[in-house]
Amino acid sequence: MSQTSATPKAPGPGRGRPKPRRSGPGRFGPLPWIAPAILLIMVVVLWPVYEMVHTSFLRISTSGFVRGSAGLDKYRKLFGEPDLGHVLISTVIWTVAVVTLTMVLSLALAQLFNQEFPGRRLTRWALIAPWAASVLMTAIGFKWMLNQTAGVLNTAMTDLGLISGPQDWLGDPSTAWPWMMFVAIFVSLPFTTYTLLAGLQTIPGEVYEAARVDGASTWQTYLRITLPLLRPAFLVGVVINLINVFNSFPIIWGMTQGGPSSATATTTVFMYQLKDTDIGESAAMSVVNFALVVVMVLVFLKVSRWSEDEN
Amino acid sequence: MDPVTCGSDGAKAVTAVNKRVLSFAAVCAVGTLTLAACGSSGGSGGSPKASGPVTLKLVAADYGDKASNSSTLYWNDLVKSFEAANPTIKVDVQVINWNDIDKQVKTMIQSGNMPDVLQTGGYADKVADNLLYPASDVLSPATQANVIDTFAKAGQVSGTQYGIPFVSSARAFFYNKAIFAQAGITTPPQTWDDVKADATLIKAKVPGVTPYALPLGPEEAQGESMMWELGNGGGVTDASGKYTLNSQANIDTFSWLKTNLVDPGLTYANPATTDRKTAFADFAAGKAAMLNGHPSLIQMSKDGKVDYGVAPIPGKNGALKSTLGVADWMMAFNKNGHKDQIKAFLDFAYSKENTEKFDETYNLMPVTKDTLADMTSSGKHADLAPFFALLPNASFYPLGDTSWDAVSAQIKQSIGTAVSGDPAKVLGDLQKKAQDAVANK
Repeated sequence: MSQTSATPKAPGPGRGRPKPRRSGPGRFGPLPWIAPAILLIMVVVLWPVYEMVHTSFLRISTSGFVRGSAGLDKYRKLFGEPDLGHVLISTVIWTVAVVTLTMVLSLALAQLFNQEFPGRRLTRWALIAPWAASVLMTAIGFKWMLNQTAGVLNTAMTDLGLISGPQDWLGDPSTAWPWMMFVAIFVSLPFTTYTLLAGLQTIPGEVYEAARVDGASTWQTYLRITLPLLRPAFLVGVVINLINVFNSFPIIWGMTQGGPSSATATTTVFMYQLKDTDIGESAAMSVVNFALVVVMVLVFLKVSRWSEDEN
Repeated sequence: MDPVTCGSDGAKAVTAVNKRVLSFAAVCAVGTLTLAACGSSGGSGGSPKASGPVTLKLVAADYGDKASNSSTLYWNDLVKSFEAANPTIKVDVQVINWNDIDKQVKTMIQSGNMPDVLQTGGYADKVADNLLYPASDVLSPATQANVIDTFAKAGQVSGTQYGIPFVSSARAFFYNKAIFAQAGITTPPQTWDDVKADATLIKAKVPGVTPYALPLGPEEAQGESMMWELGNGGGVTDASGKYTLNSQANIDTFSWLKTNLVDPGLTYANPATTDRKTAFADFAAGKAAMLNGHPSLIQMSKDGKVDYGVAPIPGKNGALKSTLGVADWMMAFNKNGHKDQIKAFLDFAYSKENTEKFDETYNLMPVTKDTLADMTSSGKHADLAPFFALLPNASFYPLGDTSWDAVSAQIKQSIGTAVSGDPAKVLGDLQKKAQDAVANK
């Protein structure tokens, strides 16, 4: 995508054709200035993508030897995996649930932090903590807090009488999912809240004044003024969270490794599990993953731009 | 395959398979690779093989857990005396820790920069790509005959031995004597029914203890499941080497585990997500009454002041005559053509003094007959006595099958769900995947 955005610029100097071609670096137009960026994109984006797609068509032995082309075999094998179906469903539920809850909670938090109250500066700083900490560290921290024999959360909940005895929360998929979602929301909140907070601060005060003069209720003001004007920030938050949560690997790997079997795996984790048995199939899963992210974001952008045109 | 665990650190049993990371883009810089220089600098026209100094590249795993007991010290000492005795051969030693060795070796193979001699966890995948010398090319007949037969056989791929065992380990049944006494049990269980009866007693009389620790989590599920399968006359493969993961015996084994240990709560609530290191740590902390363990648990139990007993692994109708054996392997790469020099080096490395020194340094079990006889009779290793007796009868994973790495990874990932879901379905899926892996060789 980035390359296409670079190409339209190239004919730029051509339009001023009447002038004779200059000698020296000038005749390359903007190329010398954007070349490093293009090169960087080629090396860190396009080349890995090419390698990923290329690998998915290869047969590679466990010792790392390429044994020739596999054609579409790896894709056939991938789509024949009995676990793939429930992994895809889990991925959708995981992404939708985490992003929705994160956005809703962040809206409330951003509203709160937009108010004047004593200690606001301190609490705003405190909100950064889950963001500043390594996600893997947070995940492993929660894993140990939920440990059946030694976990502090288990002990606390038992002492408070919430549960009758320590439980193996992460061993059972039905309890592991909610806890992992909780952690995912916990680490997504700071970024989203700050994005929305920045959006809230761009809304001019006069609009609110006008609304007050017109006698709008608080709720009406929020729905008719705050939310629509917050839309750009909200969209940025949703898109970035969609990609992040969909690709989220450290939380799930740190807490359950996708287990038992692949019962708590999303497609990203499933890809990593396949790596142990077949690199080619794992690469095929990566390609599918990549396609899913691109499609998801394109669809989302399209949908959001449509409604913009309506306005 | 399964690096023999060393020292008292259960976590070190990180398996080779787990670490097989093939990074697409990242090229790991292995800084210290030295090209084996095979020139004939000092030769006066004679064949370079005979007269020129040859440098062998040795890559080995580190069994130590700190600088003061690193395997580098052992190999440097050994090489020094070897070079003194063989002035025309130099050996370049590179010792790599267990977490990185597979990745680094993979990089060496991909870049064509292979070692001459490699000591690590598994060998069969290298045979599949024709990278290794057969053992008979690089060992003198005397050294080859000295290797314990079951281990030599485990080093074979379709009848030819490529893998040369280096150190070994065997599994046995551990029980906590204090907990057994508290529950009024006097002898360790012999049969599965004994295990169930004892576990029920322990659950009733010693609350807060896991009666039987059943770790079917990804760390070592292939080991725990195979020990139970052996108890019912099942196993991973049949006599002809075909995978039989969903044989009736295996399905019955998991059905028994599900109805008799898991459902009544006589083991962990979720065996499929409980790793071996958790089970070992629980046993060493006195929180588990019985489990299948290996020699490193001896030191862990002593450190935890647990009064433990070791017994043969219980089977369905009586204690097992054989046990699960595990070995780490030595192999010789054919790329550089240093067959004769490798033979000289390996014969030296497999002398009794050298193997015994290594085994004693890390409290590991021998793979050669003379060292086993010596360690058994010396009286210095009373702790290991029950394991010495088991070694000559050990059963192995199908290590010589080049698809075993992939199959083992599948088993680790999902066999645990056989005790929570439908055993026949879980094992059937695994069998299908194993057959795919074989077909894809």
